[in-house]
Parts: sequence; C-alpha cells; structure tokens
Amino acid sequence: MELTPDDTIVFTVLGFGVNATIVFTWVVMALLTAAAAFITRNLRADVPPDRWRTVLEATVLTIQSQIDEISARPDRRLLYFAGTLFLFILTSNVLAIVPGWRAPTASLSTTVGLALAVLAAVPLFGIGSRGLGGYLRSYAEPNIIMLPFNLIGEVSRGVSLAIRLYGNVMSGAVIAAILLGVAPFFFPVVMDMLGLLTGAIQAYIFAILATVYISSATAVPPPDASKETP
Amino acid sequence: MSIDWITVAAQIVNFLVLVWLLKRFLYRPILDGIDARERAIADRMGEAARIREAAKASEARHMAEIARLREGREGVMAEVRAEAEAERDALLSETRARLAREREARDAERAEEVRRHTADLQRRGAEAIVALTRKALADLADQSLEARIVARALPRVIDRTGDLASAAGDSREAVVTTREDLPADVRRDVETRLSDALPDVAITFRTDPAQSPGLILRLGGAQLGWTVEGYLDGLERMLDGRGGAADAA
Repeated sequence: MELTPDDTIVFTVLGFGVNATIVFTWVVMALLTAAAAFITRNLRADVPPDRWRTVLEATVLTIQSQIDEISARPDRRLLYFAGTLFLFILTSNVLAIVPGWRAPTASLSTTVGLALAVLAAVPLFGIGSRGLGGYLRSYAEPNIIMLPFNLIGEVSRGVSLAIRLYGNVMSGAVIAAILLGVAPFFFPVVMDMLGLLTGAIQAYIFAILATVYISSATAVPPPDASKETP
Repeated sequence: MSIDWITVAAQIVNFLVLVWLLKRFLYRPILDGIDARERAIADRMGEAARIREAAKASEARHMAEIARLREGREGVMAEVRAEAEAERDALLSETRARLAREREARDAERAEEVRRHTADLQRRGAEAIVALTRKALADLADQSLEARIVARALPRVIDRTGDLASAAGDSREAVVTTREDLPADVRRDVETRLSDALPDVAITFRTDPAQSPGLILRLGGAQLGWTVEGYLDGLERMLDGRGGAADAA
C-alpha cells in the first residue's frame, strides 16, 4: 500500500517523473482558478451578486473576518496567503470523497512545502511590517538569552504544521483503506464523512496557525516601560 | 514516510502560483466588487442624506411659507371682516333710513287718506244736513233753504259792506253768487238792501252749482260770504278746540 502519492509517477518530462502529488495539486489549482474566474467574470458593482458570487463573497469575507480577529494589523496580503492556504487544503481534503482522488495534502512533501512557505512568510511579513532591525530584535525578546529558544521555536512551528497536517490527512486515508479491506460496505462511508470533517478542520487549523504566526511577527510590541523617561 | 525535496520545491512553487492566481481571479475581483458596492452604497446613503437634508430644508421653507400665509390670511380675514362689518353697518343704516322714509311716506299717505276721508265725510255730512234741512224747511215751513240762508246771512254781510268797499277800492260792480236761483222776492229784497248799503254799485246775481249753499258777495278783488261749508268749518274748528264761532264768515 502506498502511503504517499509522491511514490506514484503519473508521467515523465525530460527525465523527471511528475508524481501524483503534483498532478493532483494542479487539478486543485485548476479547479479553484476556473471556478473563481468563472464566477467573477463580468463583475459589475451596479449588478446585484448572484448565488455563486454570494458564496464566494461570503467565503472571502469569512476568511477576512477570521484574520481581522487574529491580526492586530490586517493586511490584504495576509488574506491572499492564509486564504489560499485554507482553500487549497480544504479543496484537497474535501475531494478525497471522489473515488481515485489522491489528496496532495496526504504527501509529506506538500505539507513540508506549505510549512516552509509559512516559515518564509513569517519573516517576510515581519520585516515588511516592522523593518529588518525590528524583526531581528524580536528574536532577542525579552532577553538575548532567549535567542536560541526563539529560533528553535520558529523551526518547530513549521515542523509541527507539516507533521500535523500530513499525519491527519495521511492517517485518515490509511485508516479508510484498512477499513475498506475489513468491512468494505459501511466503515469506509463513515470514515469518508469523518474525513470531510477532519479535512475541513485541518484546513482551518493550518490557515489559522499560519495567520497567528505571521500576525505575531507583524505585531508591534508595546513600548518598554523601563526605557520611558520619568 | 519520506520527503521528496523536488516535490517540496514544486509544491512551494505551485502554492505561490496558486496565491497569484487566486489573487488575480478571486480575491481582487471579489474585494474590489465589495468595495465598489460599499462605495456605491455609501454614495447612495450620502445622496439620501443630502436629499433628506434638502427635504428637511424644503419642509422648513414650506412650513415658514404656510405660517406666513396663515398670518397673511388672518390679516386678510380681519380686513375682510372689517369691510364686511362696515358694509353691514352701511346697509343697516340705509335700510333703517329707507324704512324711516317709507314709514314717513306711509304716515303721510295715511294722514292724507284720513284727511280725504274726513273731508269726504264732512262733505257727505254737510250734504246730508243740507238736504235734511232743506226737506225739513220745505215740508214744515214751506220755505227754501237758500231763502232762509240768505235771510240769515244778508244782515251779516250788510254789516260788513263798509270793510268790503274799502278793500275793493274803486270797483262799482258787485256780484252775488248762490248755488241755486233765489226766489224773485228774495232776490229783490237782497238787491234792495245791498243797494242801500252800497250805493252806486251795480248788483248782479249768478249761480254756481259747485258752490256750497249760501251767499257770496264779490266786489272787485274782495268778497264776503256766508255758506254752509264755512259754517261747518267753523263747527269743526270749534270741535277741534281751535276756537272760532259756528257762524264764522
């Protein structure tokens, strides 16, 4: 039994094998982009939104409101980043009910890639918000002694993000496969339903944690009382 | 569990591409559309607020105009009321004056009617008295009324012929007028006695059916007489307390 779609080579280009993880990722990207482009075509401010456009607006505004609740300094770029994380992971996980679907999030390579993206985004958003010096100083807070611990904590965030998402999605798929062999008519359906729920929760958790990490990096610390003049 | 770093790199690139795609086809159109709609709503709200303010201002102007018109209407009503009262007073005064004139006219007409009725009654009474007297004289004494009137009136006339002659001046022709022809003996007696009282004056006798029974002597522009009508006038004045004798001339 293949635990990860990385092992399934779909086709080869110039000697490089394109595995199922990448192919299904492209499928998710195509679906999301096509649906968004189709629904938002001929968008006009003076025309009331139809049903699908209302769904998209509600989705985007819900993500925006979640970010606003977490972040002290809401930014549209954070919406682009965290919203895309949520939509990509959610779509990948929800499509698991389609027979033959191999969720890209069940690949440790995908979750590691997303975690690395978050790890890269945290300093970029932090530097963009507080400046390079301000961001680097945040690693020495509250004391320079905390520098190694902050660095370890920064790395462990990405590792925990990747392992959590991968473990949940992959374990769900593995359990569904095992139960399919034991009791092929009942448990797989229940597990698929449970997989939809855990998939949505995992997408939410991943996006929320990424938002929290980025927001903590962009948050301006309160002025140090000890440096205030009497 | 293994990590394919090439796949990791490909997935990072795929993710970044997806971020760009969704930003291009999802987030920007949706958020820009929402922003545009919110701006349109804000514009409409602002326009509604401006219209509301304009409506309030217009309402205030209209209320002020209504108040001004109401005050003007009260002024006009007071003026019209005063004019109406003046017109009413004028009409009442005119009506009262017309009623007074009509009352005076009716009073005068009534008085004239009373006077005419009295005169007619007097005339009828006199005629009745004269007729009764004439009948009584003719039946009981075989005398004519005119003869008895002349016999009674002639001495009174003769007593005042001096005044008559003085008033007549140089006139020398006297006319004796009676209602009916006098009997011949009476006429001779009258002519004789007048000739004695008025010498050098020619005496002429005439009859006038419109004259009241009696005798009238005219000399020039003056005259003396005694008639039943004059006698009754004397009686009337006596009854009215205006004095005068029943035998006034």
